[in-house]
Amino acid sequence: MSTLTHRRLSRHILHRLIDDAPTQEISLTDDHRRSLSARFRAVTSTDHRRIDAWMVERAGQPYDAFRWSPVTARRVIGNAALRRMVDDPTLTEFAAVDIEVTDQLLRAASGYSRGGSLSQWLSQSSPSVIGLVSAEAANWTTQLGEAAEGIFHPWVVASSDAYYDVARARTTLRGRRDLIVINGLSRILLRFRAGSPGKSAGPGLRADLTIDALAEPTGRAASRVIGLWPEAGVVLSVDASMEDLRSGARDLVRTAVARQRHQLINAA
Amino acid sequence: MDVLRGERESRPQANLTAAAGLRSQLEDGIYELVGPDLLGAPLVIRAASLRRNSAIYDFTSSPLAQVRGILINQALRLLSVGIEIDDAYNDAFFAWRADVGTNDLTQYVDRLEGDERARLMTDVTAHCLTLKRSLGSLSSRWLPRTSLRAHQRLAAGNVVLRDVIDLMVGTTTSDDASVALLDVTTSPLTEGAERVMRYHALVQTLRTSTVPLRSSMFSTATGELWSLDVDDELLQRSVLDVLNVVAEISEAS
Repeated sequence: MSTLTHRRLSRHILHRLIDDAPTQEISLTDDHRRSLSARFRAVTSTDHRRIDAWMVERAGQPYDAFRWSPVTARRVIGNAALRRMVDDPTLTEFAAVDIEVTDQLLRAASGYSRGGSLSQWLSQSSPSVIGLVSAEAANWTTQLGEAAEGIFHPWVVASSDAYYDVARARTTLRGRRDLIVINGLSRILLRFRAGSPGKSAGPGLRADLTIDALAEPTGRAASRVIGLWPEAGVVLSVDASMEDLRSGARDLVRTAVARQRHQLINAA
Repeated sequence: MDVLRGERESRPQANLTAAAGLRSQLEDGIYELVGPDLLGAPLVIRAASLRRNSAIYDFTSSPLAQVRGILINQALRLLSVGIEIDDAYNDAFFAWRADVGTNDLTQYVDRLEGDERARLMTDVTAHCLTLKRSLGSLSSRWLPRTSLRAHQRLAAGNVVLRDVIDLMVGTTTSDDASVALLDVTTSPLTEGAERVMRYHALVQTLRTSTVPLRSSMFSTATGELWSLDVDDELLQRSVLDVLNVVAEISEAS
């Protein structure tokens, strides 16, 4: 049985979802990792594949090549700005975003960024485009900050997404996470999403939860992953039961299979 | 902007309980109009659907006017983060292109004749000047957010309410109602503007479960600002507005 729950966004909903998260410890073992690796190896690939929750939600369908835009840049800058605000509470959202954007531009100017990176793209953009990036990032920081205000447990902005290289399978899994909340001995992940959740939003959250557990050296899973869609006013959550983690891993392998099929069709 | 925020002392307590009742009223009303069966495609309601009280929205409205509206919206976004706009048309246009890439409207602008482009540039510059003068400076303490989207699925997805708030200030987490919504339009304000302001307040209430303080609309064509305090009566009227549009659309289809 899936542990997916659906709630409407209200003032203390995040706190309630964090407070009543399950406390039992679920961990993935080396056997689980070996089994997953074998399944991925069985799905041949000519290139190194990267799979994330978004691909799971789209059932492995190919999508347009990535390009930087104010919308794609807002999460990176917005999360970094919120991290700065946590470190220095005197900063406003705009000031934090401004410092972060300036930092990115400095990285490009000093040669510490590679081609195609956010820093490079910003350094080649006009001031009005940088202004729009700041506006999008400020929206993100403000909304994520408002959500975090309703959390009474200690939380941190995730320093990076979770990455897991599947051994000998030429596969990297990426699990997104925006906030990590600590409730006693357990961790709860929070993902902040644009748009409204589709029918496959639950499997997407499960994939994030599974990848996060795989990326943990101890294999210990977060006790719950919460997806917040502020535009739709909806909050979904999935608990870390062994059944959900298995289901998440199955979805990731299925996505690799579907992606392989699409590649074969395109090549034919 | 000072008008939007009002006096801190006179703000009412945040209403956190109205959303559930409004949603039930909408669900019941839609059930009566549409019935229990799932529709092949949802009825999508937008702010534009309420501008004219008719299901037949004029989609042939001039693309030039649409571009002008988009560019002024981009200018508002730049002003909200304190960017100094020297060349309204080019600043807004580059920001828009970075945001959307290439689409039918950007290609339309690319194909404009010299005199049409000059007319658009003059138009955008004039509207932007009115906006700049009236908006003044936005304190970052007011938490301004721009182009905020909202989607609300009702009646098992038979009806979808969609909305974009051009500018929102204030927080939904304070004990007092402090959220003010602003819609910036390049057209003069007409009777339909009140319905649109009510619609913004309703969708915002459904989305956050918190009733906003005020809903406003500013016309860069006339420099007029209309503002309504959001209360139960206003939200009830908006529920009726939405149900009227649902009735018209379902009758027409």
